Amino acid sequence: MSPETAAPATNGANGASGAPVLSVRNLHTAVATPDGSFDVVHDVSFDINPNEVLCLVGESGCGKTITALSIMRLLPTPPVRITSGEIVFDGNDLTHLAERQVRDVRSERISMIFQDPLTSLDPVFTVGQVMTEVIRTHRDATKAEAREMSVDILRAVGLPAPEERFDSYPHELSGGMRQRVMIATALVLDPEILIADEPTTALDVTVQAQILERLRAEQQDRNMSMLLITHDLAVVASIADRVAVMYAGEIVEEAPVDELFSDPRHPYTQGLLRALPHVSRKRRDLVPIAGLVPPAQMMPPGCRFAPRCPHALEQCWDEHPSYEVNGSVGLRCFNPQPF
Amino acid sequence: MKRIAARSIYTLIVLLLSSIAVFYAIRLSGGDAVSARLPASASFEEREEFRELLGLNDPVHEQYFRYMGRLLTFDLGKSLTNNADIFDMLTHHGKNSLILGAAAFGLVFAIGVPLGILAAVRRNSWADGSVMTFSVAGMAVPNFWLALLSVWLFASTLGWLPSAGCCSTKQLILPAVVLAMEGIALTVRMTRSAMLENLGQDFVRTLRAGGLSEASIVGKHVLRNAMVPIISLAGLRIGQIVGYALVVETIFGWPGLGQVLVNAVLRRDYPVAQFFSLVLITIVVLSNWLADVGYTVANPRLRKT
Repeated sequence: MSPETAAPATNGANGASGAPVLSVRNLHTAVATPDGSFDVVHDVSFDINPNEVLCLVGESGCGKTITALSIMRLLPTPPVRITSGEIVFDGNDLTHLAERQVRDVRSERISMIFQDPLTSLDPVFTVGQVMTEVIRTHRDATKAEAREMSVDILRAVGLPAPEERFDSYPHELSGGMRQRVMIATALVLDPEILIADEPTTALDVTVQAQILERLRAEQQDRNMSMLLITHDLAVVASIADRVAVMYAGEIVEEAPVDELFSDPRHPYTQGLLRALPHVSRKRRDLVPIAGLVPPAQMMPPGCRFAPRCPHALEQCWDEHPSYEVNGSVGLRCFNPQPF
Repeated sequence: MKRIAARSIYTLIVLLLSSIAVFYAIRLSGGDAVSARLPASASFEEREEFRELLGLNDPVHEQYFRYMGRLLTFDLGKSLTNNADIFDMLTHHGKNSLILGAAAFGLVFAIGVPLGILAAVRRNSWADGSVMTFSVAGMAVPNFWLALLSVWLFASTLGWLPSAGCCSTKQLILPAVVLAMEGIALTVRMTRSAMLENLGQDFVRTLRAGGLSEASIVGKHVLRNAMVPIISLAGLRIGQIVGYALVVETIFGWPGLGQVLVNAVLRRDYPVAQFFSLVLITIVVLSNWLADVGYTVANPRLRKT
């Protein structure tokens, strides 16, 4: 396996082992514009291992959500489509499955929840109508059985009065309740992987903590793997087993969570951590990362972070660094720095 | 419920005000009911005597209260022109109008909604282009002209359909289509834009992530969301059909309420004109009220409170 095609071969921090449940290999996803086609996800590779939480971190627009939507085959095509790469799940390449087969995977085996619970639920159907339809699309269940399954999972995710909520419309629920409904709908068929795209960003802080705790508990109870997308390093610290850091459409560093926080190698990861407030570093100013993310149609030919990197070498400007995997750590950098 | 009650009171007020407007308007429009009834040779004294008999020399507000009093006891009176019982006219012509109106109303949705869905699902295709061109034409062409054109083409030239008359199915086709045309054109447009708007909503992605089929997502979830504005404006389509029925019934010689009203106004047949104006106004106002109720039923967000 060449370094280009590898991803860090690690197990979950909680000791689970075995082959990865899902492998993304050299994924390229591009958006077509009148000026040509540009990669918004560029050469992304990672594994999701059984029973672990992998966090995909990065600032807005770095390609996290597009990566997740590529896995679910939910890209808005056109203009966005996968141009090359593989997403291997259960021996199949999801990028080449027929639409019909992809539908069988969705929700039944890989589920996804979204950022904004206010707009992500169908406003003219009740919670129960949608959950029942999802169940009966995948399973032979009577309406009564579907109702029972739904109420059970609604109760499990901590929704108060689940029997009544089953017949509620989304507008009758609070933001936190709606997110619980979305989680319940995503988990009702007991999927192997849950992809959560900024699940707590639209919620207020106290509810955020409850939802994260609930997600973590469900992940462990069900021996499920989770891909959590976030820009919030506090969320990462509280829930992740492993972290992949994305910058400008690429994964620049991947490591087990403790290692990433204690010994980040990539200057971008280091910059992110320096920009965090920290109780132990009293009265130290936060250090912002200078400059802006280059737009997709104006990517530098060398390292994409070079224009903002304090440690950039001549080589960083001319050559594009490849993604090197060393044990449990993956890195895309010519000049890694001690933290 | 409060919303529906408020709308009902508003509806009653509109009905009352329009009854006054109709009553005055027909008396202000010149001409005289007397000439409708008496032969042209009648003397001045005979005419004056007849006016007195009908109470037409009293102040208009007295006539109004007398008329409304009789109306409320279901004494509709008789036509001044042919002495026909107005209630009989209502049932006979009302039935014809109901057939024509219902056919047109059905066509508006049976044709408009599917074409709109087609245009939305196949956006920017040739199908979308032709549907939208048809829609623009349908809105731009005035229905009296469309009526004449369709008579010329389908009746005179091709001879497929009769040009006028009542009440066979074949005779119904042309007036119903002409009457429905503008409603179809508007419904196509509204359906298309409402479908497209809802297809772009976040909840569609959530449903796709749930593994639902495209048929269910588009045909059930998106359509149901898109129907909210369409249902709420369905009442307005009724109003439109009632208004256009005056023209279309007259052109196609369809003996409905519209034709009766046009003739009554031309002959200054006050009782008939007043009553049938009120009937049409009531239908329009009630259909608007229905639209409001329909909107509440179609949109769960308005159902409570």
